[in-house]
Amino acid sequence: MQKRQAAVPNGNGKTRTGSTIPELPSVIGDGFDALHNSITGRKYRNLRENGMRSLWFITAIFAVLAIFFILFFLVLNAYPITDSVSIYEFLAGETWNPSGASPAYGVFTLIIGTLLVTIGAMAIAIPLGIGSAIFIAELASPRVKNIAKPAIELLAAIPSVVYGFFGLIVLTSWLRVTCNVPSGESWLAGSILLGIMALPTIVSVSEDAIAAVPRGYKEGSLAMGATHWQTIQRVIVPAAFSGITAAVILGMGRAIGETMAVIMVAGNAAIIPDPIWNVLSPVRTLTGTLGIEMGEVAVGSAHYHALFGVAVVLLAIALIVNLGARVILKKIQEKQTATGTRRQWLRPATKDAIRPYAYAGMGAALAALLLLTVGAAATATTIAIVLALALVKRKISAKTGQKVAFGLVYASITMVMIFLGIILFDIITNGIPALSWEFLTEPPRNLGREGGIGPAIVGTLYLVAGAILTALPIGIGAAIYLNEYTKGGRIPELIRAGADLLNGTPSIVFGLFGFAFLVLYLNFGVSLLAGMITLGLMILPTVIRTTEEALKSIPDSLREGSFALGATKWQTIWRCVLPPAVPGILTGAILSIGRAAGETAPILFTAVVFSKRFLPTSVTEPVMALPYHLFILATNVPGASQNQYGTALVLLLLVMGIYLIAIVIRNHYQKAITW
Amino acid sequence: MQNNGNILTTRDVNLHYGESQALIDVSISIPKNRVTALIGPSGCGKSTLLRCFNRMNDLVANARITGEILFEGTNITGPETDVVELRKKIGMVFQKPNPFPASIYDNIAYGPRVHGTRDRKKLDAIVEGSLKKAALWDEVKDRLHESAMGLSGGQQQRLCIARTLAVEPEIILMDEPCSALDPIATAKIEDLIDELKKNYTVIIVTHNMQQAARVSDYTGFMYLGKMIEFGETVQIFESPQEEMTNNYITGRFG
Repeated sequence: MQKRQAAVPNGNGKTRTGSTIPELPSVIGDGFDALHNSITGRKYRNLRENGMRSLWFITAIFAVLAIFFILFFLVLNAYPITDSVSIYEFLAGETWNPSGASPAYGVFTLIIGTLLVTIGAMAIAIPLGIGSAIFIAELASPRVKNIAKPAIELLAAIPSVVYGFFGLIVLTSWLRVTCNVPSGESWLAGSILLGIMALPTIVSVSEDAIAAVPRGYKEGSLAMGATHWQTIQRVIVPAAFSGITAAVILGMGRAIGETMAVIMVAGNAAIIPDPIWNVLSPVRTLTGTLGIEMGEVAVGSAHYHALFGVAVVLLAIALIVNLGARVILKKIQEKQTATGTRRQWLRPATKDAIRPYAYAGMGAALAALLLLTVGAAATATTIAIVLALALVKRKISAKTGQKVAFGLVYASITMVMIFLGIILFDIITNGIPALSWEFLTEPPRNLGREGGIGPAIVGTLYLVAGAILTALPIGIGAAIYLNEYTKGGRIPELIRAGADLLNGTPSIVFGLFGFAFLVLYLNFGVSLLAGMITLGLMILPTVIRTTEEALKSIPDSLREGSFALGATKWQTIWRCVLPPAVPGILTGAILSIGRAAGETAPILFTAVVFSKRFLPTSVTEPVMALPYHLFILATNVPGASQNQYGTALVLLLLVMGIYLIAIVIRNHYQKAITW
Repeated sequence: MQNNGNILTTRDVNLHYGESQALIDVSISIPKNRVTALIGPSGCGKSTLLRCFNRMNDLVANARITGEILFEGTNITGPETDVVELRKKIGMVFQKPNPFPASIYDNIAYGPRVHGTRDRKKLDAIVEGSLKKAALWDEVKDRLHESAMGLSGGQQQRLCIARTLAVEPEIILMDEPCSALDPIATAKIEDLIDELKKNYTVIIVTHNMQQAARVSDYTGFMYLGKMIEFGETVQIFESPQEEMTNNYITGRFG
C-alpha cells in the first residue's frame, strides 16, 4: 500500500481530471495502522468481533430459554390437577365449580364460552373488517386513506380495560334497555366489544394483503372492461385471499386472548347459553376465569392447579390459531419469493413423516373454528349477500351491482368510524370535567371517589420503563443475532417459532406465570419488579419481531458495500445496518411501550394494589397503575363516575399519545427512504 | 503492451454453490495496473470469480472453494486469511449503486472511519481527493452533507467508486458497474476507469462486449464456469484462438 501511495504524486507525470488533486493524506499514517494492522491490533479487533457475537448469541439464547421456560412452567403447574380429575373429565366436564362442597373442575363450559364469544366477535369483525380494508386499499382517495388508516390504528391503541369500561357503562345499559332484559352483561355485549377490538388487526393485515396484489392484475382486468367492483371481487380479493384469511385468524387470536374487556361485560356465569343461540345469556370465558379467580385462590390447592390447567387449554387454543396464521402467511411469503431458499427446522424426512398428521390436526382444528365463525359471519351478512347475489344473478347491469357493493363497503367503514367516534366522544366528553391539576397529582381518597390518580400515573410509568428496559436490550440483541449472524438453520428457526408462540399468548397467561414464578416461587411478592419483568416478557416477542423486520428491510447490497470497504461484521452492523433500521426498531419499541402501558391482565396479580398513598421507594414494593385503577373503580366502587371517566381519559390519552408518536415516526421515515 | 507483473494469480480454482459447480479449474493471472475484463454469457461464473478475489462469496451460505488465489504471493482462499484486511486492499463496486442512506460526505468517510481515521481535517481531505479522483467533486462539492440517495444513478455509482478509492485499495473489482446506467453515465464511468488504471488494477465484469473492448487491456472469456480464453483484449477480439470465443464475440450465441 505504501508503494502505491508514493506513486500518486510522481506516477505518470500527467495531471488528472484537470483539477489539482490534493495529496491524499494516508490513512495508514494515522497511527491506526500501528494499532489495527499490528498483531495486537488484530487481536483486539478479533476479540471485539467475537465478544459482540457472543453477546448477541447469549441474548438470543436467553430469549429462547425464557420463552420455553414459560411454557414448561405452566404445564408443570397444571399437571397436579390430574390427581383430582382425569384429563378427559377436566376437558369434557360441564361443571366448573371449584369452590363448591364437592369441587368440580370441568372446563368444557368455559371452552364453549370462549368459542361463542369469539364467533360472535368474528361475525361482526369479519364483514366490517374486510369491507373497511377494501375501502382503504381500493376506494379511498389518498387524503381519505391518510385519515382512515391511522384512525383504525388508533382503535388498536385503546387499552382493553378502556373498552371494557365503555362496554360496562354504555354498551350493557344500552343492551338492557333495548332488549328489555334484566342485565346487559351478556355474550352479545362481549362479542360486540371483542369484535370492535379485533377490527384493527383484521383491517390492517387484510389491507396489506390487498395492497400487495400486483398492479398488473388489476390493470389487466380493468383493461378488459371489467368494472372496478368486478375487478375487486374476481381478481383482487381472490389474489389476496390467503392474506385475508391470515388476518381473520390473527383477529380471532386477539379475541380469544382478551381478558379485561370480557370480564367487564360478559356476565361471567359459567353456563352454556340455553338455548345455545341465546345471545343475551351471560357467558364465562377461559380468560375471564383466570382473571376472576387467580387472585383469590389458595396457592397449591387443586383449584390453583386447575387454573393452570385452564391456562394450558387457553394457550393451546391460542397456539393453534396463531400457528395457523403463521403457516398461511409463510406460504404466501414463499409464493412471493419463489427463489428464496426454504428454511427448514425439521429434517425433510421427519417433516414428511409427521406432515400429514400435523396438517390433519391443525387443519381439523382450524376448519372447525373457521367454519363456525364464517358460518356466523355469513348469517350476519345474509341480507347483504343475498341482495348482492340477486343483483348479479339477475344480470342487472354491472354498474348497479357495483353501486350496491360499494354502498356496503362504504357502510362498513362508516360503521367502524362511528364505533370509534362514539367511544372517543363518550370518554372525552365525560372525562374532561374530571381533569384538574389535583386529579393528576393527588393520591385517591374515599376509595377513589375523590382525590386523584397521581400515584397510578407514576406507577404506570415506572412499570412501563422497567418493562422496556428488560425487553429492549434482550429483544434487540436476539434480533441482531437472528438476522445478522445466522444464515438460516434450526436454532434461529426455533427462536422465531418460540417468539411467535409467545406473541400469540394471551396476556393473562403472562400474568399467571408472573404470579406463580416471580411473585411466589422467587418470592418477589406483589411488587414493581415482578410487574416490570412480567410486562417485559410480554412485549419481548414484539420487540424481537419488529427489530428483525426492521433489520430485514435493510438491503443486503448495503452490507456488501460495507464489507467490500473492509469493514468488519460488527462495524457493518453498527455503522451501516443499525442506523437506517433505527426508525423501525423505535416504532416497534414505542408500540410495545403503548401496549405495556395499557395492559391490565399481566399486572393484575404481580404488581398492583388499588390504593397507595405514597410512591414506591424500591422495586420490591407494589404500585398503583392506571389500568388497574380504572378496572377497580368501574367494577367495585359505586358512585365514582367522574373519576372513572377521568382515569379512562388519562389512560387513553397516554396510550394513544404513545401510539401516535410511533405512527408519526413510521410515516415520516417510510416517506424518506425508498431503496 | 508492457506487463508490470501480475498482482493476482488463480490456480485451479473450483467453486461450488451446494451441489452446483460455478467455477471449474480457473487458472489466470491478472496484470498489475491494467484493466482486465471478464466477459461471457449470463451464469458463466464471471461474477462468482470476481467475488472470489475479495472473498465476498463468504457471505453466501453454502459456497465452497478449492484451489489457490495468490494475491501478492499469498494464498487468500484459506481460513487464515484476514478477510477484513483483504477487502481493504481489494475494493469492490457493485452492479446496482448501493450508497449508504447517509450524506455524500459520510459515504466517502465510512471506509476511513471504520479503519480508524478520526481526524476531521484528514477526513475532509480524503473525501475531497476521492471525489475528485472519481470525477464527481465538481457536481457535489456544494452539497456534501446532503443525502447520497438524492444523486442520480450515474452519480451514485461514481460515489460508490469514490467510496472505494477512499480506502486506498490496490485492486478495484467492478461487477457490471454500468448495467443500471444510461449511455451518458456509462461513458463517464468508462472514462473514469481509464483514469483509474494509472494507479490501480481494475477487474471489470461486463455483459457488454463493446465496453470490454473499449476499456480493457486484457480480457477473459468464460463459459459455463470455465475460463475459455484469456489474453490481451486486442488479440481476443481480433484473433481469438478458440472457436467458442469467436462465436461469442461475433454474436452467434450468448
